[in-house]
Amino acid sequence: MKLSNIIRLPALLGAMLLSTAAVVEAEHTSNWAVLVCTSRFWFNYRHLANVLSIYRTVKRLGIPDSQIILMLPDDMACNPRNAFPGTVYSNADRAVDLYGDNIEVDYRGYEVTVENFIRLLTDRVGEEMPRSKRLLTDDRSNILVYMTGHGGNEFLKFQDAEEIGAFDLADAFEQMWEKKRYHEILFMIDTCQANTMYSKLYSPNIIATGSSELDQSSYSHHADNDIGVAVIDRYTYYNLEFLENEVRDTSSKKTVGDLFDSYTYEKIHSNAGVRYDLFPGGAEAARSRLVTDFFGNVQNVEVDGSKNTTLEEDMLALSKTIAALRKKADEEEAISVGKEKSNAPEPETDMKNETLVTHKSQFAKPLTDDNWLMKKLSALGAVVGCAVLWQMGSWLDPAQK
Amino acid sequence: MTARRSTDHGAAGDTLSSDTQTATLTSTSTPMATPLEPATAATSSTLEEPPPEKLSDVRRRIWVIVSFWLIVLLLGLPIWWKTTTIHRANLPLKEMLDWADGKACRPVFPLRISIQANSLQEQEAQNLLRLTQHALDDLNDFSGHHLRLQLSSPAAAQKQKDEPDTALTIRLLPGEAVTATLDPYEPVLDITYPPNAAPSATSASSTLATYVAGQLRSTFAEEQAIISYLLSSNSIPSDYRPQGLTPEAAESLAKRTTRSLKYAPTYHLTFSLFTSGPLPSSWDIEAAIQDYMKPVLDLLSPIHNFTIDTQVQLYASPGVQNQVLSKDDLSSFINAAEWPLSPSIGGAPTVNFIVFVGNQTIALSSQQDQDAVAEGGLNTSQSWLIPQWGTVYLLSLPHDTAHVSVDALKQPLLTFTSHLLSLTGTPNSGSLPLRLSTLSRIRSADLLLRASSTLGSLARLALALKSISIPSSVADGVSKTIVHLRRACETLGEAEGLEHARIAEAEAERAFFEKSMVGQLYFPDEHKVAVYLPLLGPVAVPLVMGLLNELKAWRKRRREAAEKRKAKKKE
Amino acid sequence: MNGGKVTLGRTAGLYAGAAVLRLALFTLFPGLPDLLTGRVEISTPVTSFKRLQEGLFLYNHNVSPYDGGVYHQAPLLLPIFNLLPSFSTFPIFTYLLYIAVDILSADALLRIAESGEAGSSARFTSPRRDKRWSGAVIAALFLFNPFTIATCIGRSTTVFTTCAILHAIANAISGCHFHAMIALAFASYLSMYPLLLLPPLILLCYDRQKQPAGPRAPDAWIKFTGTMVMDVFGALAVLFQMSFMLTGSWEFLSSTYGVQLTLSDLTPNIGLWWYFFVEMFDSFRSFFLAVFWLHLSSYVGGLSVRLRQQPLVVITLLLGIFAIFKPYPSIADASLFLGMVPLYRHVFPLLRYSFVIAAIIIYATFLGPAFYHLWIYAGSGNANFFYAITLVWGLGLSLLVCDLAFAVLRDEWEVERPEMVGKEIRQI
Repeated sequence: MKLSNIIRLPALLGAMLLSTAAVVEAEHTSNWAVLVCTSRFWFNYRHLANVLSIYRTVKRLGIPDSQIILMLPDDMACNPRNAFPGTVYSNADRAVDLYGDNIEVDYRGYEVTVENFIRLLTDRVGEEMPRSKRLLTDDRSNILVYMTGHGGNEFLKFQDAEEIGAFDLADAFEQMWEKKRYHEILFMIDTCQANTMYSKLYSPNIIATGSSELDQSSYSHHADNDIGVAVIDRYTYYNLEFLENEVRDTSSKKTVGDLFDSYTYEKIHSNAGVRYDLFPGGAEAARSRLVTDFFGNVQNVEVDGSKNTTLEEDMLALSKTIAALRKKADEEEAISVGKEKSNAPEPETDMKNETLVTHKSQFAKPLTDDNWLMKKLSALGAVVGCAVLWQMGSWLDPAQK
Repeated sequence: MTARRSTDHGAAGDTLSSDTQTATLTSTSTPMATPLEPATAATSSTLEEPPPEKLSDVRRRIWVIVSFWLIVLLLGLPIWWKTTTIHRANLPLKEMLDWADGKACRPVFPLRISIQANSLQEQEAQNLLRLTQHALDDLNDFSGHHLRLQLSSPAAAQKQKDEPDTALTIRLLPGEAVTATLDPYEPVLDITYPPNAAPSATSASSTLATYVAGQLRSTFAEEQAIISYLLSSNSIPSDYRPQGLTPEAAESLAKRTTRSLKYAPTYHLTFSLFTSGPLPSSWDIEAAIQDYMKPVLDLLSPIHNFTIDTQVQLYASPGVQNQVLSKDDLSSFINAAEWPLSPSIGGAPTVNFIVFVGNQTIALSSQQDQDAVAEGGLNTSQSWLIPQWGTVYLLSLPHDTAHVSVDALKQPLLTFTSHLLSLTGTPNSGSLPLRLSTLSRIRSADLLLRASSTLGSLARLALALKSISIPSSVADGVSKTIVHLRRACETLGEAEGLEHARIAEAEAERAFFEKSMVGQLYFPDEHKVAVYLPLLGPVAVPLVMGLLNELKAWRKRRREAAEKRKAKKKE
Repeated sequence: MNGGKVTLGRTAGLYAGAAVLRLALFTLFPGLPDLLTGRVEISTPVTSFKRLQEGLFLYNHNVSPYDGGVYHQAPLLLPIFNLLPSFSTFPIFTYLLYIAVDILSADALLRIAESGEAGSSARFTSPRRDKRWSGAVIAALFLFNPFTIATCIGRSTTVFTTCAILHAIANAISGCHFHAMIALAFASYLSMYPLLLLPPLILLCYDRQKQPAGPRAPDAWIKFTGTMVMDVFGALAVLFQMSFMLTGSWEFLSSTYGVQLTLSDLTPNIGLWWYFFVEMFDSFRSFFLAVFWLHLSSYVGGLSVRLRQQPLVVITLLLGIFAIFKPYPSIADASLFLGMVPLYRHVFPLLRYSFVIAAIIIYATFLGPAFYHLWIYAGSGNANFFYAITLVWGLGLSLLVCDLAFAVLRDEWEVERPEMVGKEIRQI
């Protein structure tokens, strides 16, 4: 009887572990988005509008600002040529102001550089970098990387100064994979000859899509005559159209495959490309991923069952007692140590109890006016010293007088 | 050359220009000065013969050229070499890869379990111990997790208990029947046995021994499962893996790792009160934390530090407006766009605990549950856990409550506390002290494996990206990591082991994320030509031409001198 | 010579005039000093008066003046300004100090001019030496040069370096070599690059030392050079030690000279470095820093060898080269060079491009501020506008340096070949 008991225990244990929630596959626990515009100046209005539209979409689908890295090299809303100051629109109907009142740009202006982008992906940043500007992903994070700007065969221009090569991008993703910084990546790029940018990728778990093939341009969709420039690119426009119409909220079951199938040459005026071969399971597995796996923030929550209050209270009582015991032991130890040393007060026990207290430390040196007289005197000394040194020359050259 | 010499002063100008052909003049004078050959001078028929160059002038010119070339050769070249070579510190790649493959360390947790059997004879106790150990060894299929029994003498009992190396103490007490209870306050397993169950000094088998072994095994079953799962998911060679991991168990373990946060020495706890209306606008959160959470935080303090902040936001609208929330709604309940839930203060990961005051309720998926809600809501739950993120607790209060009291916060805080334990990865079974000591062992193993895999990643990157520079700080970090890994491996299962593993992991991360290791990733050689040529080309032309001309002149002078000597000899 | 009293009166009047002009500018246009202080053409990161005030404030409040990375100037400037009454309440004292320094510089230049070293050095006497301007004229040309005035009003701390360099030359010419070396040590301490003037200055001292009649020992020059070098470095050591005692750490070395060596502050200026290092790939940055510094220093040896007979010319040419190629040049450096050029009045007829040079410098002077405004304030231009104009400025100055070198060499050469005087020559 007892033996059977023993054998049953692990099974019970397993059952208990399972009982907490439904069975889950190895899934992602967080969603991140890296949205990059690489061009500045007014006539590139559409690129910023592209990025801001995607930004609005991922935010709508629940990715918090802390998990969106938005790189905008220019500020169209405050551009003096903007006929509608403070706003950015991606459509001539001007229904939705993309700038809104709640937008968090992480890298702006001249901070948008190739180096900063690669540093962001590989997280090789200094201590001083705030968390909001870092991509703090782990092996359970799905990342949407969206880039737009002016590009060419295997490069994408950053501002007017530099460019990122397809090799650099591939190496950066490989470093991320090596360090287990992502679970799956959807790489999306809207630029001329965009498909060449993902052609060099070689790290697994990446679905890549781009707006146009080698030697194909990526076209703008339409211009707003009052703004005076094109306001959105075709590829992004039709992506948005799909996302707005088909993925209304996070419960949508549309797949990435559905999204890709919506691309046609008639709409985009270039051949949008998709790359599945890096994804384990190939096209089939990749296409079956939900759109919200990348554009939304869907987590598997664990709902608590009915409460067993007594259990938790027991635990609390237990921890109180144990903490008290430990404290007592520490004190005893402190006393014995104290006896050995002297009767000096023991600061350690106090320290341990203050884990909840926030410690504020002042790093800046205070500005004081102390030592005024000393300053003057030492200054006088220094000036006199200089004068003496200067005069020394004359003393050393007596013959010349 | 003769063509250029169009005026009668050409030859005379020669001395002047060849002496001043420093870079100062290159911007104005394009044609290079060349020493005039007497032969060509002679051909310019009517022009008067310039006087021969003075020896002192020749020497001076040589000195000028030498002074420039000395700087180029003695300073320029070494600086070029030093500043443009990609510095790649030597990394112990082989060793790093060994760590990553698990060849360098075989993670073994020697758990020492002491048996106090005050009521047994020394001999009997020894025999019991031997038998139990046998039984354990027979049951154990995971060599990485080894339970080692030892007998503690009554006199040393007090001391043994304090010794931190002992994972568990078994107190054998005579009693009515065979029972086992875990002491809730200390890592002690009380086992009572009827008088006849104790084995004699010579018997070869004992039910008591088997029972004790079984109890021990079940006590540590979860720990074993977790650690073996960790090892297997980190591609540690299979011979250390236990065979008996069922798919379901593996799945639940995967779920456990999914839920728990990545290890960090410090966690930042954010307690947020969101209310759907104007009230309540204040809460007794500090007192509540002090009462209901602090004791557990104190217990966790050897493993983690915690920082805490709190916030209140009124008129907060959740992401889902439904009165009754289904399970799907829960995942979008958090209004990430509007709720200020991402304090980017400090470097510690944040754990969110949200109390939402509103009238929404959760309905568990089935229809019956919804009926129950309508009847009185006893069967509804009020909180859910979001893996690696935190907890949301729906608190329903009377409409006019302006202040949330400590009592009202008791239930939420207790929920948060138990969720915090599972978010930190504490196992579910066993008594609290055991769970905590298990947690520290799991974390040691976890950190050890993560540091090892980081080393492996770094080594593979260093091999794959030939043009990436590796500063010496990375090599330092790697060697520090290896030292601490080795120590952690030796002291696994002890408090020291956790400390070493923690340092190793921090050092490995720092080495991998070394800031200066970015820079030039893809820089083809033709770009280098484009960098050097426009800048160094113009400087190099006068320098090289000057040197060549001077060499030519020198050779000519030597030849002439030799001819002269020959002529003299002939005479 | 022709009545010392008259000359004295004339120079005194000249100095008074210069001082009054400056005081008038300071007081009648109270906004002018701050306007000029903010101009990048006048204030560089290593000479700016604004930064000096920041450093002084920190120093007066017991914080290291180098905290915050704004102040990059020598520590011993601080006690001077600390002793002056506070700038915000009594700015007049600061003005007077700057005016005095300018006049001291002019005085040193006057001494140099009066010595006639430019026309006839110990080893070479120009046949044209009689055609020269008096010291007062040269001092006036320096004092009333708009660049000098703007530097003074902008209170750039370069004026101290300028003063020290001119005194070093003047003392070397009058035979006080120790004094000259100490003055050079002061200049090097303040700005570092004047240390490159050491070789020609030693040559100048050596040529001008008053020796007893009779042949010198053959290795006398080794001893002499050794003494001079020891003198400079001794004085520098004393200055460093005093700085250390004043600030309490050696941090000032990296914050002053380190900044010049590594060009860590990329504020635009009229030099050629900043734009280049803004654009440079990071991995080549240190290499090209070294190349630029080597380029700057490589002229010292060549020029000293070639113009061994006229060390003052070497110094003048080097000052011109520094004004173009040093890391943080300003118009103050140009004004020093332009102040030295009139010493060679006798070779002016040999200059070939004087009109072009004058035109280029005036062109750059007017367009530089305009383009800077377009770039920084109007936003209708970009950095290339300003950089292009600094290139033009550099071109103008380097033309002047080249032309002066050509004229001096031609002058030398005509002594050798008297039959060629006045005839056109051509380089082949």
